[in-house]
Amino acid sequence: MATAAALHVSNDDNRSSIWSASMLIGPATVFVLVGLVVPLLILLRYSLNRFEPRRMMVEAVSAENYIRFFSDPFYTNIFWTTLRVAALCTVVCLIMAMPLAYVLARTQTRFKNLLIMIVVLPLFVGNAVRAAGWMTLFGAKGFLNVSLIQIGVIDQPMEIMYTEQAVIFGIIAVNLPYMVLTLQSVIEGVNRNVEEAAFSLGAGPFTMFRRVLMPLALPGILAGTIFTFILGMNAYATPVLLGGPKFKMMGPLVFGQFQLNNWPFGAAIAFILMTATLLLTATANILVQRRYRR
Amino acid sequence: MSGGAAILQSRRLGRLALKGAAGFSLAYILLPLFFVVWLSFFAQEIPSFPPEGYSVKWFQAVPGNTRFVQGFILSLQVAVVATIIGLAIGVPAAVCLVRKQFAGREILNSLLLLPLVVPGIVLGIALYIFHVEAEIRTEWQIIGSMGGLIAGHVLIVIPWTVRLVTASLVGMDRSVEEAAMSLGADRLTTFRRITVPAILPGVVAAALFGFISSFGNLEMSLFLVGPGRTTLPIAILQYLEWKIDPTIAAVSVLQILFIGGAMLLTDRFVKISRVV
Repeated sequence: MATAAALHVSNDDNRSSIWSASMLIGPATVFVLVGLVVPLLILLRYSLNRFEPRRMMVEAVSAENYIRFFSDPFYTNIFWTTLRVAALCTVVCLIMAMPLAYVLARTQTRFKNLLIMIVVLPLFVGNAVRAAGWMTLFGAKGFLNVSLIQIGVIDQPMEIMYTEQAVIFGIIAVNLPYMVLTLQSVIEGVNRNVEEAAFSLGAGPFTMFRRVLMPLALPGILAGTIFTFILGMNAYATPVLLGGPKFKMMGPLVFGQFQLNNWPFGAAIAFILMTATLLLTATANILVQRRYRR
Repeated sequence: MSGGAAILQSRRLGRLALKGAAGFSLAYILLPLFFVVWLSFFAQEIPSFPPEGYSVKWFQAVPGNTRFVQGFILSLQVAVVATIIGLAIGVPAAVCLVRKQFAGREILNSLLLLPLVVPGIVLGIALYIFHVEAEIRTEWQIIGSMGGLIAGHVLIVIPWTVRLVTASLVGMDRSVEEAAMSLGADRLTTFRRITVPAILPGVVAAALFGFISSFGNLEMSLFLVGPGRTTLPIAILQYLEWKIDPTIAAVSVLQILFIGGAMLLTDRFVKISRVV
């Protein structure tokens, strides 16, 4: 009932308005500040500490965890692998998502809601369950190998499981729905008549897409690309299950350091991961905006 | 005339190619789920093709598997409590964000959506370290505790609540409330008869989306579970790191059905195509 009273005080005097506003939004704000912002700051502080195997963690202000990461090829390789996988998956997702997003956005039938639910369902089912599906498909006696041997394409089963390719296949499937949903909502916002105008002026489907739809949908395309890239960089379950113990990406690496109780180094890796992701997406943002500012 | 026909022809071909490509992407999204369902009905334990036969025995064995049953119960408890707390503080915040004009509103809005942007792994290790510090300072048992796990999940529910409830409030015409009041309804009646029905779909959607994303959370929870306390997604992950067989496929299928049911329920209150 506090809500009831608070909804209608906007005309009352300023002080009571501020009071009721802070009553409404205060608890959630405090919760997120204490529960998220403070932990992130502590994480940053921890990343400057030192780790000694006997005493676990020693207070310090040093960049040695960051230096260790960037001077050891073992870690920089993991960093580049993560970057490569995330970038590749993002590009493939963008290409694969566009037609589906367009069809979903322009469909007017009663199946539309059903189709969107089919796209959303895998998102909520979780990455581990979807990885299980790929494991069934990719295993040495999995569907793909057995089928290919039967039709005579190969005579020995291919090693697909526990490779970078398997991880890439998996992450594409994980991230594709996010990209589809983002693109679908922007394309819905583009007036259909604009497309018809392009067609009636003689543009083919590809010209129409490149010269009309894409520039109009660009903010959404960018948002979807950034989001998908972030998800790819931070993937955990898919690289663990489809990449196996030998294939390493940044997400599993953070958890590994945590299991070794090396919190300072784990914290530093977590920060490197987050900062790299943010910097790259910001750069992409600026580049694309400059390219399309006319 | 033949030029026009050629354009029509190329547009028809284009549309066909478009639908083909869209179908391919949709199939790709569904492919892993299809194989999980298929595997769960295999007669033999080893996931080799072609299957030797089909059986439902793996499903019958699931209720006797304490690991997964306990994981399910814990995930359910955490998700329910976190959703209730998340709604209790998230709905008023959303109302405030839409209805009030104040400095820093945009910043607060971004702050409340932040938990969805911070990667799960980073969120997990940050919360764990926070729990370590808090436990040292207060001497309460926080690391790996139920309270710590729930508090983490509330963080996931808040942004969903804020996003969905603000969306439903923005679409609402405020003059309807004013009309009700000018027709003699008092504030309480107006709130009960006009405002509540208007935001209810948003609240229900927030409850279900918050519930589903808490229930399915994996990365953050990895850092927050304690000994002997495992959520269902973690139990599934740990099993899969060891092996893949029809047992885990059957558990996965049950999870798919559970989540799918929750989504169909949500869809009755608010069209999913409008909120995601």
